[in-house]
Amino acid sequence: MVQIVISSGGTGTLAQWLLVELQGEVEPRQSGDLAGNLLGDLHYTCEGIPVLIVGHHILYGKVVQLEKPFAVLVKQGGAPQSSPMEPHSHYTVTALIKTKLLFKTRPKPIITHVPRKV
Amino acid sequence: AAMRSRAEVDATLQTAKLNPAELLPAVHCLSFGPQAGGGECCLLQLEPGLCAELEAGRSLVIRGEKDEHAVLCSKDKTYDMKIADTSNMLLFVPGCKTPEELNADPASCNIIHSQIAGFSKNYWELRRCRPKLKKLRKLLMEDPYEGPDSQKDQTSTFSKYTTEDLLSLIQASEEEILHQLQVIDACKIEGYWRILDFDYEMKLLNHVTQLIDSESWSLSKVPLCACLEELGSLEPREMIEHILLSYGRKYVDDAGEVFFEMREDKICRAIAQMLLQNAVKFNLSEFEEVWQQSVPEGMKTRLDQLQGLALVDKSSRPETIFLLKVEDLPEDNQERFNSLFGIRQKWTEVDITPYIQDLCAEKQTVGALLTKYARSSMLNGVKVYNSRRPIS
Repeated sequence: MVQIVISSGGTGTLAQWLLVELQGEVEPRQSGDLAGNLLGDLHYTCEGIPVLIVGHHILYGKVVQLEKPFAVLVKQGGAPQSSPMEPHSHYTVTALIKTKLLFKTRPKPIITHVPRKV
Repeated sequence: AAMRSRAEVDATLQTAKLNPAELLPAVHCLSFGPQAGGGECCLLQLEPGLCAELEAGRSLVIRGEKDEHAVLCSKDKTYDMKIADTSNMLLFVPGCKTPEELNADPASCNIIHSQIAGFSKNYWELRRCRPKLKKLRKLLMEDPYEGPDSQKDQTSTFSKYTTEDLLSLIQASEEEILHQLQVIDACKIEGYWRILDFDYEMKLLNHVTQLIDSESWSLSKVPLCACLEELGSLEPREMIEHILLSYGRKYVDDAGEVFFEMREDKICRAIAQMLLQNAVKFNLSEFEEVWQQSVPEGMKTRLDQLQGLALVDKSSRPETIFLLKVEDLPEDNQERFNSLFGIRQKWTEVDITPYIQDLCAEKQTVGALLTKYARSSMLNGVKVYNSRRPIS
């Protein structure tokens, strides 16, 4: 039987990350990986409402305390994306996520200045 | 990608027609980190208590054979694992602050460049489940201990199992395994967990009950020392102590001496099993008579001591009783009900409860199980349960 250990590696307190939940897909503007690309600017209103500007859209969201936090696991050894039951693998808990920014509303398109027809 | 400047951020705000006066001064410029698409990160949703376990530095373990559903075990609980798909994108962002955190830290930077570490459309979801302990008994029954005189142990080719072995073979947490070992009266012999062969167990019990009788000890005050002295020449001391621990409650009196209060129900039940295992079924009233005569002086037999061990057939003339051990039945809920309805078409709640009690999840009742897996009807004014599907 396979036994895969999930541990924090004992390196002190776990980092706290945030989850950003978006509807639909995020695609790079140019073809290729997302890695290295900008996503957008995240602001908060004075009332604490998250506002995300992505490309030509404004997304309004809310801060949600997660009833069930997440652990972010990073696989050690073995190939990535393979089944969880692969032997010789071990997961490290890199961080915990207790809060998410949920963007559920329809994105508002940003109308940029349209040149007048002459 | 070059890092955005404050001027660029402000220009975007202007284009978006957002009023900076209505926003907190700090902005997070989110970009995808170099590893972001790699798929090396994944999310595990934590049930209550697991977060604290991880924060305290304890580990969790995923266990399962390749063809089994994986389970996740903490020190003392077991959970089913499955992938939950969302239709949303989940981005995990280190170093991203909430409005409270920004407000609490007046010195926070105006621009925070946050790199998205990874993203996913799914996560692992956990659901607390019953530990899969049937295998434990099956493994230990491969080679029951028959006593020191048995030739078997020397020539035995069967595996024997240490605690570590069991942890690597059974889909359950360590505490659940250790607890179950206690429940089934397993004992450690030379570092290996063993279950006693039933005949040998009865032989040991008989030594003790005969000694209690000949010494006229009270059933609630059986002295350990005297037992070891008197019986030590017949059986290993560890086995005598083990049988006392299995069938009695240990206590220490004011003088510091160890005694056992013998457990009437458990002893009567074991003797019933010994009688019932010799035939397919028995005439109920004959059995009850022989049974009462077979138990130690001073003990009273009652049919409710046999719950989950034997079943009375009230429809036959004369009434009969036969051995039916719950631990011999399937572990899976549907299979258990199929098996029970194969044995008897219609069950009353009183009769079926001992045979499904162990299936109840943490806050589940027997009633809920019956609603789910059975159909009820009335038979002669009594509510009975039968299968939801035709049994071949």
